[in-house]
Amino acid sequence: MVTTMRYTFTRTMVTGLLVFGLLGGQGANAALLDGLMDGVEETLAERLADRNERLTTGNFYTDARPNAHGPIGMMGDHTHEAGEVMFSYRLMHMWMQGTRLGTNSLTNAEAINLAPMNTGLPPNAPAPLGFGYLAQPESMRMIMHMFGFMYGLNDTVTLMAMVPYTHLNMNHFTRDGRKFITKSEGIGDIRFGSLWRLWAVEAPSIGAHRFHANFAFSVPTGDIEPRDTIPVPEQLNQPGNILDVRLPYPMHLGSGTFDFYPGITYGGEMGRASWGFQTIGTLRAGKNTNDFSKGDAYVVNIHGAYELIQRRLSGSVRFSWNHWEAYNGRDPRIGHPVNAVNQNFPRILPAPVQTGRPELLGGQRLDIFGGVNLLLPEFMGFETRLAVEGGVPIYQYLDGQLETDSIVTFGWQAVY
Amino acid sequence: MWNHAVVTGVVALVLLTPAGAGFAYEVVEVRHGGAVAGHVSFAGVPPSPRQFTVHKGTEVCGTERALKKVDVRDGMVRGAVIALEGVERGKPFAAHRDREHAGRGRGAFHYAGGDELNLNVHLDTCSFGPFTGVVTADDAVQFANHDAIRHTLHTYTLQQNTAMLKTVHTRILGADSRTEQVFPGTRLRHAQAVVLTCDRHDFMENWLYLARNPYYAVSDAAGHFRIDGIPPGDYRLVAWHPVLGMRETPVTVAPHGSLAVDFAFAD
Repeated sequence: MVTTMRYTFTRTMVTGLLVFGLLGGQGANAALLDGLMDGVEETLAERLADRNERLTTGNFYTDARPNAHGPIGMMGDHTHEAGEVMFSYRLMHMWMQGTRLGTNSLTNAEAINLAPMNTGLPPNAPAPLGFGYLAQPESMRMIMHMFGFMYGLNDTVTLMAMVPYTHLNMNHFTRDGRKFITKSEGIGDIRFGSLWRLWAVEAPSIGAHRFHANFAFSVPTGDIEPRDTIPVPEQLNQPGNILDVRLPYPMHLGSGTFDFYPGITYGGEMGRASWGFQTIGTLRAGKNTNDFSKGDAYVVNIHGAYELIQRRLSGSVRFSWNHWEAYNGRDPRIGHPVNAVNQNFPRILPAPVQTGRPELLGGQRLDIFGGVNLLLPEFMGFETRLAVEGGVPIYQYLDGQLETDSIVTFGWQAVY
Repeated sequence: MWNHAVVTGVVALVLLTPAGAGFAYEVVEVRHGGAVAGHVSFAGVPPSPRQFTVHKGTEVCGTERALKKVDVRDGMVRGAVIALEGVERGKPFAAHRDREHAGRGRGAFHYAGGDELNLNVHLDTCSFGPFTGVVTADDAVQFANHDAIRHTLHTYTLQQNTAMLKTVHTRILGADSRTEQVFPGTRLRHAQAVVLTCDRHDFMENWLYLARNPYYAVSDAAGHFRIDGIPPGDYRLVAWHPVLGMRETPVTVAPHGSLAVDFAFAD
């Protein structure tokens, strides 16, 4: 019921915003809160007049400075002028190694001996000897190519589209000491979005302050039924010792649901310094065709940057707080490969691997990132940036899943 | 049904309300018109031109540009806008062309005139035109970019009673392209002037006084101005310059009368 209401509300918001943006945005004020903030603006202007300064409102243009764009790991951090386009490419690498339970890292031996589901033991309790998971993930590598496009539709709305292509590799070991790798690769969920200019003010002594709303949705183009082969558990005398299975949840390339991403972004700059704040939520609309949905999530980013070499190079620091809920429901063909092959096999067989347990896939993490943006000389009218940002978690709380070790993003952006 | 009718009525009311309320001017035949003429002077040391290093489109704009905001020669101000406030009906808008004479830019303001001002901005060599000019509310201003590079037109209003610039438009002006932008009366209600800037070139900056009627003039190199064809009556004569400020004086224009008014600015 709640899901249905949320879906209806979100759909109504999307429709309303699109209609307003496409039809009304052209003739309306440049920023949506223009007119509503007159009192604040006049007060500010009066104070600035005492300093012989003028207050400027509605200016979202960012000069050709490397830190006019946020760190490359952030998305939807800036808007574009009407008619302006931006092409972008990001290469993201995430490395995860070892299992974390709560805030503690576990050894592989500890992790594989946690109690699987269907044992009657509390989640993540130590299992009786020999009754832990059949296999355990050791590490995982995610490489994502993200192709992006942004277009300034009018003075209010910037449209965006993002197409991800993802490679996932997970290394495992089995209870009997064997090692194997599962892989999935393909296009992810394609995201379409819009950025809505809300309000902007600036003056020499107070700097520039710009606010915009983020609104995006993704369509379920990513595979939620990736398959790969795994070694056969000893209990099952499968010919060839190989079993072709549907891979568990972390190996999926998409969510399988239409997802919505509302958010708000603030950016400021003064002199050679810039800073910003962004929070983006992820709301899942219903369950997918395999009867589950990923959990809702949100991320909060706070960053600061400084122009180290004027009009050329800037450095940045970013803190990113991520919170994501556990999955709702489960895919009956994940986590029970034995049952999937042999329906007569006792159903009390432990889940073979922790990644097949959707109720454990929630968590939260605080990352710290350092990055640089390089602005290249304008060529053929294109304003081109190269950027790199790398980060590590400084806090993470997980329900017995692989922990994140590092995230690195390289990016290229060309504005015309 | 009732709700539908109310909503339709409200929407119709909003849509039909004149956007430029407060800016109405009617063109009529002027009989026994008078004239006002004079000079605009400046005492003191005018601000030096501001120098800029060009970062974008240097093949067209050059690598260095200067912005001369106050043009004073022999104590006389060129580019001050003199406007007669309070004239609600009278002569049509005149056709004329103002081009930047000094410096590298070849931009020009062309006023086609008639019942409306019909301002055409010819953007050339990274210049919109002279530093000062006039604009009217609800006029569809034509911007033609004659440069082979892109400009980002960004317009603001300067509010009357506060030192505040409010954005009206931002538009990419591609190489050799045109666009039409209206300055809606609803957004100019409290405005004194309109500012034209290019976000890509910070030396491109022009100030247009918000004229309510065709009775305006821009002082020439000798600081001289003349406004004629004025219907007899009592008005307010304003001299405005974006840097020097504003001076105003009440005037009474007699039939066939010729009034001499001088304005003086100082540093």
